[in-house]
Amino acid sequence: MQKEAAIREPLILGHKTYHDITEDVCRPIEDKAPKMWYTLFGIALIIGLYGVGSICYLLGTGIGVWGLNKTIGWAWDITNFVWWVGIGHAGTLISAVLLLFRQKWRMAINRSAEAMTIFAVFMAGMFPLIHMGRLWVGYWVLPLPNQFGSLWVNFNSPLLWDVFAISTYLSVSLVFWYIGLIPDFATIRDRAKKPLAKKMYSILSFGWSGRAKHWNRFELVSLVLAGLATPLVFSVHSIVSFDFATSVIPGWHTTIFPPYFVAGAVFSGFAMVQTLLLVMRKAMGLEAYIHTKHVEYMNIVIMVTGSIVGTAYITELFISWYSGVEYESYAFINRATGPYWWAYWSMMTCNVISPQLMWIPKLRRSLLFTFFISIVVNIGMWFERYVIIVTSIHRDYIPAAWSMHFPSHIDIAVYVGTIGLFFVFFLLFARFFPVLALNEVKTILKGSGQSYKESPDYHKHH
Amino acid sequence: MSDKVIYVMYDDDEALKDSAKKLVSKGVKISEVFSPFPIHGIDPIIGVKNTRLGIMAFLYGLTGLTVATLGMRFFMVTDWPMNIGGKPNFTYLDNMLAFVPISFEFTVLCAAHGMAITYLLRNKTLPGMPAQNPDPRTTDDKFVMEIRLNENHGISEADLDEMLKETGFFELDKKEIN
Amino acid sequence: MGMTRKYWKGLEELKETPEFIKHKEQEFPNQQTIEEFLSDDKLSETSTARRDFLKFLGFSVAAATLAACEAPVTKVVPYVNKPEDVTPGMPTWYTSTYYDGNSYASILVKTREARPIFIKGNKDFGFTKGGVNPQIVASVLGLYDGERLTKPTAGGTVASWSSIDKAVSSALKSAKSVTLLTNTVISPSMKRAIAEMSVAMNGEAGSKFQHIQYDAVSYAGMREANMSNFGARIIPSYDFSKAKTIVSVDADFLNSWLLATEFTGQYAATRNPDAAWMSKHIQFETVMSITGSNADYRGMIKPSEQATVLAYIIKGLGGNPGVSADLSKADPSTKAAADVAIKALKKSKKESLVVSGSNNIGVQQLTNKLNNLLQAYGTTIDLSNPINLFQSEDAKVAKFVKDVVAGNGPDVLLMMDVNPVYTLPNGDAFAKGLKKIKTSVAISAYADETAALCSYVCPGFHALESWSDFEAKASEYAVSQPTIRPLGEDTASALESLLVWNGSAVRGGKDSSVAYDYIKATFAAKFPTADFAMTVHNSVMPQAIVPSTLVYADAKIAALPKAADVEVSFYQKAGIGTGAHANNPWLQELPDPITKVTWDNYVTMNPVEMKAKGFVTTYDQEHGLNLTTVKVNGKSVTLPVYPLPGQALNTIGIALGYGRGANGEKIGKAAFQTKEYGGHELNDAGNRKPIGANVYAMVTTGATFEYSAAATVGAAEGLYPIAATQIHHTVMGRHSIVRETTLGIYQNNDKEAYNPAHTLQKLDAHGNHVEAPVSEFDLWDAHPVEKIGHRWGISIDLSSCIGCGTCLIACQSENNVPVVGKDEVRRGREMHWLRIDRYFASDEEAAVGTRKDKETFSYDKAELAAENPKVVHMPLMCHHCNHAPCETVCPVAATTHSNEGLNQMAYNRCIGTRYCANNCPYKVRRFNWFNYPAYKKFTEVNPAQDDLGRMVLNPDVTVRTRGVMEKCSLCVQRIQATKLTAKKEAREIIDGEFATACSDACPTHAITVGDWNDLKSMIRSKSENNRAYQALEEVGVKPNVWYQVKVRNEENSLLTAIQSEADHASNKKHH
Repeated sequence: MQKEAAIREPLILGHKTYHDITEDVCRPIEDKAPKMWYTLFGIALIIGLYGVGSICYLLGTGIGVWGLNKTIGWAWDITNFVWWVGIGHAGTLISAVLLLFRQKWRMAINRSAEAMTIFAVFMAGMFPLIHMGRLWVGYWVLPLPNQFGSLWVNFNSPLLWDVFAISTYLSVSLVFWYIGLIPDFATIRDRAKKPLAKKMYSILSFGWSGRAKHWNRFELVSLVLAGLATPLVFSVHSIVSFDFATSVIPGWHTTIFPPYFVAGAVFSGFAMVQTLLLVMRKAMGLEAYIHTKHVEYMNIVIMVTGSIVGTAYITELFISWYSGVEYESYAFINRATGPYWWAYWSMMTCNVISPQLMWIPKLRRSLLFTFFISIVVNIGMWFERYVIIVTSIHRDYIPAAWSMHFPSHIDIAVYVGTIGLFFVFFLLFARFFPVLALNEVKTILKGSGQSYKESPDYHKHH
Repeated sequence: MSDKVIYVMYDDDEALKDSAKKLVSKGVKISEVFSPFPIHGIDPIIGVKNTRLGIMAFLYGLTGLTVATLGMRFFMVTDWPMNIGGKPNFTYLDNMLAFVPISFEFTVLCAAHGMAITYLLRNKTLPGMPAQNPDPRTTDDKFVMEIRLNENHGISEADLDEMLKETGFFELDKKEIN
Repeated sequence: MGMTRKYWKGLEELKETPEFIKHKEQEFPNQQTIEEFLSDDKLSETSTARRDFLKFLGFSVAAATLAACEAPVTKVVPYVNKPEDVTPGMPTWYTSTYYDGNSYASILVKTREARPIFIKGNKDFGFTKGGVNPQIVASVLGLYDGERLTKPTAGGTVASWSSIDKAVSSALKSAKSVTLLTNTVISPSMKRAIAEMSVAMNGEAGSKFQHIQYDAVSYAGMREANMSNFGARIIPSYDFSKAKTIVSVDADFLNSWLLATEFTGQYAATRNPDAAWMSKHIQFETVMSITGSNADYRGMIKPSEQATVLAYIIKGLGGNPGVSADLSKADPSTKAAADVAIKALKKSKKESLVVSGSNNIGVQQLTNKLNNLLQAYGTTIDLSNPINLFQSEDAKVAKFVKDVVAGNGPDVLLMMDVNPVYTLPNGDAFAKGLKKIKTSVAISAYADETAALCSYVCPGFHALESWSDFEAKASEYAVSQPTIRPLGEDTASALESLLVWNGSAVRGGKDSSVAYDYIKATFAAKFPTADFAMTVHNSVMPQAIVPSTLVYADAKIAALPKAADVEVSFYQKAGIGTGAHANNPWLQELPDPITKVTWDNYVTMNPVEMKAKGFVTTYDQEHGLNLTTVKVNGKSVTLPVYPLPGQALNTIGIALGYGRGANGEKIGKAAFQTKEYGGHELNDAGNRKPIGANVYAMVTTGATFEYSAAATVGAAEGLYPIAATQIHHTVMGRHSIVRETTLGIYQNNDKEAYNPAHTLQKLDAHGNHVEAPVSEFDLWDAHPVEKIGHRWGISIDLSSCIGCGTCLIACQSENNVPVVGKDEVRRGREMHWLRIDRYFASDEEAAVGTRKDKETFSYDKAELAAENPKVVHMPLMCHHCNHAPCETVCPVAATTHSNEGLNQMAYNRCIGTRYCANNCPYKVRRFNWFNYPAYKKFTEVNPAQDDLGRMVLNPDVTVRTRGVMEKCSLCVQRIQATKLTAKKEAREIIDGEFATACSDACPTHAITVGDWNDLKSMIRSKSENNRAYQALEEVGVKPNVWYQVKVRNEENSLLTAIQSEADHASNKKHH
């Protein structure tokens, strides 16, 4: 068993035993849910249903109920899509990349982060579907022959790449997540008193028994999945960025997009993780497992990716001038000084300036400040996508076709609705699923648990 | 034929590992270990071979890549070549660049899912399967060693009890099975 | 009688053949039974063996079964007998003539299955030489308007013709005074009928019957002026094609003035920079008009300054105007332009033409004086071939109206194709008087403002339903023939009605030949030897004209318009004109060529002035323009104020023709405002709200009706939503979109100066960096373009395009483009496949698209149009790029490239991601945001939503469903038709044989289409000449559309400096 240096802060505070961990994680599942949970769930559900209603109206009437027009074919729909996909990057990144890098602090957060990822990607995936003029023939994006035989899809289209990228990402993340969940479900199963709960969890746990051989396979599968998921994380948002990078529209046609988008995705993803976890740890009494150290680590990630994003913005700006291409340079002048200047500058403040504050240790350790910044970053990242999409096409090549975009109330309802749905899913998760990777956390208890670090025999080992 | 199974329970993974070492050195065959989390280093002691799922994953991935490549070549070049934006699709190579993303995604898709499914099948862990751990606590904080008398002909039950006592177990439980 | 007739069973009976007699007696002929048949041993020798028989049986059963599986076909009425020259699926073309009292043209009507669906100009016959305007092309839709009257009514209730005829004829007999009020009658037959009527009632010298001609927009001023100068109340012919200098004082001769359909063609002929000479066009006007936007020089004047400008020029040419020629108070642009005019006119005496749009006698007299000074009479003006249009007799009308208003109108008032209640300055007073008239009869297609008040309303035929003859000019007799059986259930020809009421014919009703015979008779009398059928085939017949003996004589200049602090000018829009077509959704949605506003009228004002007065000068989907209240001699209207650069300061302009159906008259549902979710806006009285306001009420009544007046403009009030298809008005100095140069530069410099190629650096054989045209650069070896079958392309000459909008309407009618209504246009979702971008020059540009100074160029300033800007009209449709960015991004390959270079849309494959539209650099793709053929929002505006309107749809073109992308198909259905014809005749396609709807309709031949791979084709040579460039060439999408650099015949020192400098630079590069 490998141990950490003593100077490192313990990742698990307090004098916990294996059983305490089990207790801490299973308590919220076994106890009755608090009033707060019901209130939040109620609110989220209402908002979510409002969104669903709006989507039904949209599908029944036509895309015209959105604020789009002949010049601006994409606005809030694809903005929201990219925003959610971005958010959906933290989870897999945390559990996959950090696993490869043997970052133990991931273990406290990866389960809920992955849950967030999956729900976020659900929301993201919905937008490409509902933004279609004819959803009912949406299945044509799959390479199916038509009734006359040869009618295939266009493999040159980035949108088709998206179809494969998103579906792969979603399903692989899902599998990765569930494989990890199985042993923990077994734990719950074996503790469950109520017959129904026992039944449910024994189905969910696939009859896991924790045999040595199974654990052996388990660890390998996790490792390989992590290995597969890591390039996936980077590929997905790169491919999403191709939607724009491969086009001819000034402001979209930018080779810097793939890394820029990935960084942005991680940036927003971690921000969302912060937002959720800071609330969750309090609400579910997990302070011992998710504490300042974890928050600080994540803040550092936010700071780094934030700086990358900032650099990307500046680079774009510089290149647009340096290229000497009329349309290119105008596209960026227009972003900063045109009718959508407010969007551009709120993006700049939220994404470039705010993360830089994380250089100050005091701030990046302050949970309240972190929470605030995490919200700011998510707002900023929404604006980033809006700026890229709308301010690029609203004034592209032919001035006579220049236009403005004004969201309709359906635009707003659908967006807010997805946020509602997202929380519906997340609250259900927090209520019925083990929010900590039990089996993983237990493995690090001895390595980096406070009690063991302080115990005499710990020091004897060194 | 009838047989006797001994379940030795420990309350700490280290303890179980040490006793396992001792027993194996004395020639005891430990047929199974149940634990709430992977006990690192137990496998070689009780003789669990490393899984070959990794290789499977690679093969699945390879299949995915092949299917993607052949598929896209057939769709875009052989079966119904179309002039799309003047882009060349006279041969696979002409059009290859556009196929990279999907080739990659499809490879990953097949590798990941193929392996996951194989994993579940080999474990026989599938929806609705009954749990086989001897004691519910093994998924919480207890660690159980399973020893079968049939697999240890050389050693009498009494000797075995002796050896086990020395390891200072937490609980001991014997079962007749036939 | 009884059985005297004998019916034969057949020829056999007639011939009494033996077999017949043999079988005659048996009731049933005894045929072989099946057994006999099968047992027949000779059967095996017969060609059809039993097996085959069974095969056939099986086949027919299978066939029957399959047939039964097909979905039932609905709404198909088969022909019992195939009508002559109607082949289902094949169009039939009819020659005809269009005249609606305002515009006139020789036309061709395309019918499918006997439904007229498309109208274009007749290029082979008639003096209009194929010239048409949007109203004429769109008029085919009017035929299918659901609110047209179908039955005659008496006192508002349906009545029979017989009863009406009896009542009217007896009323005519018993009446003491009868007045026939019509618009200008140019039909010889109608004239004859009216004459007969007058003779019948007046005898030799009675005064019981009088005929008054009254046009919505009067040209009496010209006729009166000519009366005073030539002693004849005529309007001469004008020939712009001979004029090297054209001076127009507020005459919009490319849009509404006089015979615009003829003038546009003539004008365009003089605007070709490659011809021997190019005309110089100087325009003085108040409101920026289509004509003004094409001028080389443009002076902004108040309506009251028209006389002054003419006087100034007369003075400048050494004449004595006799009135003030002081331009010091006028806008500086005016004096400058006037001086240019004088210089040019001096140079081109006898080869110049001055026209004035004023209806003031004095101003027209000055115009005559000037033309006489220029010796234009006999050269560019032909007195011997007068124009018969617009014979409105304002004095007579005024008197008549006065009587009616005073309550002592005639006993019987017959009205035909006039709407005085709407078009008279005191229409409401007239309406009151009209009610007092004993018997008032209206021959009208609609129960419009006037007809609704008449005791008898007699629905006439639509122009496409009836026979008629015309004499628009002395030199030409023309015929129009019906192209469809009258749709109205119980309508009758107007001519017939007059004849019947005059007792000289019997009512035949809908299908009678009375009118036809009468017209034929008139023709026979006119041309005893000529063949009527042949004339109908050509639609025209030339007539000998007598050389005029009229000579110019100076006359006392009549009273001139008074000046005022703020003056208003009333003008006609390309779409709505005088308001006769206000119910035509195509025309309502036609973006005004200058303002690009649809579905509305408004007050035009110069933005400079608006800023000073505190009006908002920008607008978009959600931010409208300020309303204001305009007061003109006592009457007031409240309209939005539109920022129109080029509008003279201290003047405003308001379009005529709006505010139709103020009391909710049934004049067609498209004439009224609609709500956001469908249905009409209703006013307090529960009537449908009209679009815009009627300003005929503000027209000044003097010796003639004058279309300008003193006005007061109120303060900015609330905001009013504006539905415009263009909200950005300058080209931001983007030289690769619009290229403009002057004739001087074009003639004296080489291509590099005015049309430089886009180049990139590359390494040549010796490894040196050299400039090479972008066309040489390519990322990959693309699909071949040249020398493989056809490669269809379009070339558009920006010099000859005047931006009239005819092509847009033609495209809409050819391709079933849906109408989406004001609210959707406001949201930027109009569906037009072809749009005409209009660019104003900004102060940052030396000419549209050329930056004054690259260093100091400011984007902010470039967004604002100059006070009196140069204008470029740029028609834009799908560019059918060889490297189409839209195709690459479609995930389902719904848009791909045809091997003939077409960028084709498979509507039923489209899933509607709109990615293609985003990725189109030209932004020409249109998305079906809603289900236009069915969604309730469009019931009032989209003709495809009612059974009658649906008949105008072109069966060769799919009606697109909701959620799919659409765009210009380069009229692929026409390409296919052309190829088919050529194939049938086993020959190559002849260049010029294929024409798209737009190129077909273009009155100035600005659009050329053809096969670019045909090396001798027009399109090929155009694409290779010096003026050819491709918009956004450097983007590298390799479009199949070319533009020809706009050439203005002006002195532009700044532009010359910039462009010749570029020329030298390039020369240095080369040597």
